[in-house]
Amino acid sequence: MLILGMPSLRLLSIAAFAVMLLHSALGQNYQGKELVKASLQTDTSAIVPGKPFNVGLLLRMAPGWHTYWKFSGDAGLPTEIKWNLPAGWKVGEIQWPIPLKTIDPGDIQTYGYQDEIMLVQEITPPAKIDNSPIKLSAQADWLVCEKICIPGSANLDLELPTSTTTQPKNTDLFARYLRLVPKKFPDDTAKSSWSRTGNDLHLKITSEEIPNYQNLDFFPIPQSNNIVVGHPSVESRKGNEVTFKIPIESLDKASSSIPGVIIFSKFPNSNDRSGWEFGAPQIAAAATQIAQPSHGLATFLLFGFIGGFILNLMPCVLPVISLKIFGFIKQAGDSRAQIFRSGIAFCAGIFVWFIALALLLIALKGAGRDVTWGGFQFTNAHFVLVLSVIVLVFALNLFGVFEISLPQSLQRGMLSSADRKDNLGSFFQGVFATVLATPCTAPFLGTALGFAFTQSALVILAMFVAVAAGMSAPYFLLTAQPAWMKFLPQPGAWMVHVKQFMGFLLLATLLFLLYVLGAQRGLDGAIWASCFLLVIAIACWMKGAFIVPTSSATKRIVTVALIVVILLASGFYFIGDKFESSKIDIAQNAPGGDWQAFTPEKLQSERDAGHAVFVDFTAAWCLTCKFNEKAVLETADVRDAFQRHGVVKLKADWTNGDPAITKLLQQFGRPGVPLYVLYPGKSEAPFVFPELLTKNILLDKLETIVIASR
Amino acid sequence: MKTKLILTAITTLIAGALYAADIPPVGSAAPEFALKDTKGQSHSLSQYKGKYVVLEWFNPECPFVKKHYGSDNMQKLQKQFTDKGVVWLTIDSSSEGAEGYLTPDAADKVMSQWKTHMTALLLDPDGTAGKAYGSKNTPNMVIINPEGKIVYEGAIDSKASPNPADIPASTNYVKNALEESLAGKPVSNAQTKPYGCSVKYKSS
Repeated sequence: MLILGMPSLRLLSIAAFAVMLLHSALGQNYQGKELVKASLQTDTSAIVPGKPFNVGLLLRMAPGWHTYWKFSGDAGLPTEIKWNLPAGWKVGEIQWPIPLKTIDPGDIQTYGYQDEIMLVQEITPPAKIDNSPIKLSAQADWLVCEKICIPGSANLDLELPTSTTTQPKNTDLFARYLRLVPKKFPDDTAKSSWSRTGNDLHLKITSEEIPNYQNLDFFPIPQSNNIVVGHPSVESRKGNEVTFKIPIESLDKASSSIPGVIIFSKFPNSNDRSGWEFGAPQIAAAATQIAQPSHGLATFLLFGFIGGFILNLMPCVLPVISLKIFGFIKQAGDSRAQIFRSGIAFCAGIFVWFIALALLLIALKGAGRDVTWGGFQFTNAHFVLVLSVIVLVFALNLFGVFEISLPQSLQRGMLSSADRKDNLGSFFQGVFATVLATPCTAPFLGTALGFAFTQSALVILAMFVAVAAGMSAPYFLLTAQPAWMKFLPQPGAWMVHVKQFMGFLLLATLLFLLYVLGAQRGLDGAIWASCFLLVIAIACWMKGAFIVPTSSATKRIVTVALIVVILLASGFYFIGDKFESSKIDIAQNAPGGDWQAFTPEKLQSERDAGHAVFVDFTAAWCLTCKFNEKAVLETADVRDAFQRHGVVKLKADWTNGDPAITKLLQQFGRPGVPLYVLYPGKSEAPFVFPELLTKNILLDKLETIVIASR
Repeated sequence: MKTKLILTAITTLIAGALYAADIPPVGSAAPEFALKDTKGQSHSLSQYKGKYVVLEWFNPECPFVKKHYGSDNMQKLQKQFTDKGVVWLTIDSSSEGAEGYLTPDAADKVMSQWKTHMTALLLDPDGTAGKAYGSKNTPNMVIINPEGKIVYEGAIDSKASPNPADIPASTNYVKNALEESLAGKPVSNAQTKPYGCSVKYKSS
């Protein structure tokens, strides 16, 4: 029997894959010996419509033979269960008990089970069941090995009556194997950190549990065929700390972590083993699914274009649009070619800004930083401060406090003709318009950029160019077809007033920015920033009053020196010292009303307790968020609906760019806020609402999702 | 602090070197071996320098090996590429007494009964060649280029199962890697996790 000829080989294959139907238990026989006896077990005497129950695939193996875990190790194959359930029935993931680790000659490590194992899954019947009894069938495939390996297969049935009441069954059996299922990594009591040196990953765990166990191990769960994991080992342990070394044998140079289970026991493979599962949490798994773009690149570029176009309508760009339209009116008297040139210059400004932003982002992404749309802008107080200064200076310019004049030499060099100067002005207006526009994550832009951030540098660049094209499209068209501008009013003396009025719009924008600074750095921070802005205003006034074409060289030098001195002094004092030291802890700022502050731990514990959870990802500087909160979330009927369904409401405040929130946003494929997510229950996939929330969608989903998960 | 850093660096380097001795990574020089075939003739890797060489770890009783021989999948692959001048060395590293161990006579019989097309079936009962490549599975596939560098190692195809019915829907990594190599292109999927039975090495 040492050599199997072709005929016997074929026979064996047929025998191994022949499907034999028996009622509940099926044996796998090999050379007259029963290797595996398979059966389905339940923890309930009857099925209650809508009520989840557990089923288990029980495998009893002959002495010395073993089947495998979900990651089988260097050899072997995981057991598979394929359910054939009627429509409307749902089945959960297999609850894999912690396996035994076996090392065979040649340093071959495998993870599997000996003697007996049960793989438990939760089955959720629909709310209405017509017939009784119900027959549930599944096909199980496994590989069983001793020194040699034999594949096995069985078609199994389970027949249960339906009823309104039920008695627990097989309690001990289910308890025995569910006890061996690893728990989620306890983020509240334990800490973990990953690092990589060469081909080795290092996982450091800090927990008070560690000293209680003599034997610690890490069982990896690679997620792809292309990741080949070596044998993890304990690199060092001391007190509350242990570091595992996990060698990566495949070429993959990018992975910085790998999912797996941390194993605790008295001895290797002892029956008291327990574990913490790690790295591929439910949230991440569900989110990955959602983040999978279902559209092609062209669609996303189109979204980018539309998003860019919509940016023109965003409140934070409005003042600049008016500013620009005012520019168009002024130019309407000029030659047609000149108008077009200004338009092109304006568009060029938009493109240059977006391309610069894309390059910056690509560079930062390359440096491994967590970068998101708006995240490195409006979550950064310094960025907001710089923007405040720019807005103030522009406002003062519009009021006529000072005129912007380029240095004589530069003027001579660059601006040989007057129209050149206009083009340069248009160019910077284009840049300025976009600086103000970028933080507004318009609905289309959200999806489009969310997609782009997970992509290569080239796609990011293409995406930003698409956004720039969208935003500049109306200006391009309007300047290319100035005929359409004839509907705009004729220039006149009223223009000075319009210009000054624009200054007030900019001051309104400044108020919004100060509000953001206040949310980030508290009242103190906003006041110190305002002090600095006051000095900036004085500096602008000094320039306007004392540096005019008629003033003498001495006067100019003294004024410039004074300006530099007061700017430096106030910058050091108000910003470098006072502003920097004023910080508020957002987490301690309890959100108002019936909202609770979001933390990943809080979310997990509420979900574990079986509560439905709604998370509002928001920020002080996000106008869309504020609008949604006022128009939808804080209305009486929505508040009542939340309460009626017992939904826990968490507010994730991203004003200061909290990294835990950034991580979750990225898991949902979103570059920024707003984001609204409803976690229906313990294990169901979260539902993501559209960025522009409406009462109808929210109430509708609360009704269907939360009730369905009960 | 600095000493600690240097020590860490040295430990890492040593660990890396030890590790490299375990499994030669893709792109590195393929370890030399010399084994006897079923006729007692010796084959070494160096004698095939200048040619593409495929190494296939083999165990005639392993269901995963049977999957590919019972379906004629492996024989076809061997024929397709040996016809193009590729050297195909099938290696049995099962130790004496273990599953899949073959005497030269028995091995000859397997070759004729299974109508194989490998260049040679090499016997490695001491497991020296198997361990030099860190080979842990049957089948486990390694492709070596004419310069003696490893260009592919891992599974034969994408579906880890013993069921021959899965073959038509699987991606054959070895076929792809060989076709790309022979066309002068780099191998796009150069390393995968091999699947199958464990190699039945001698207990040491």
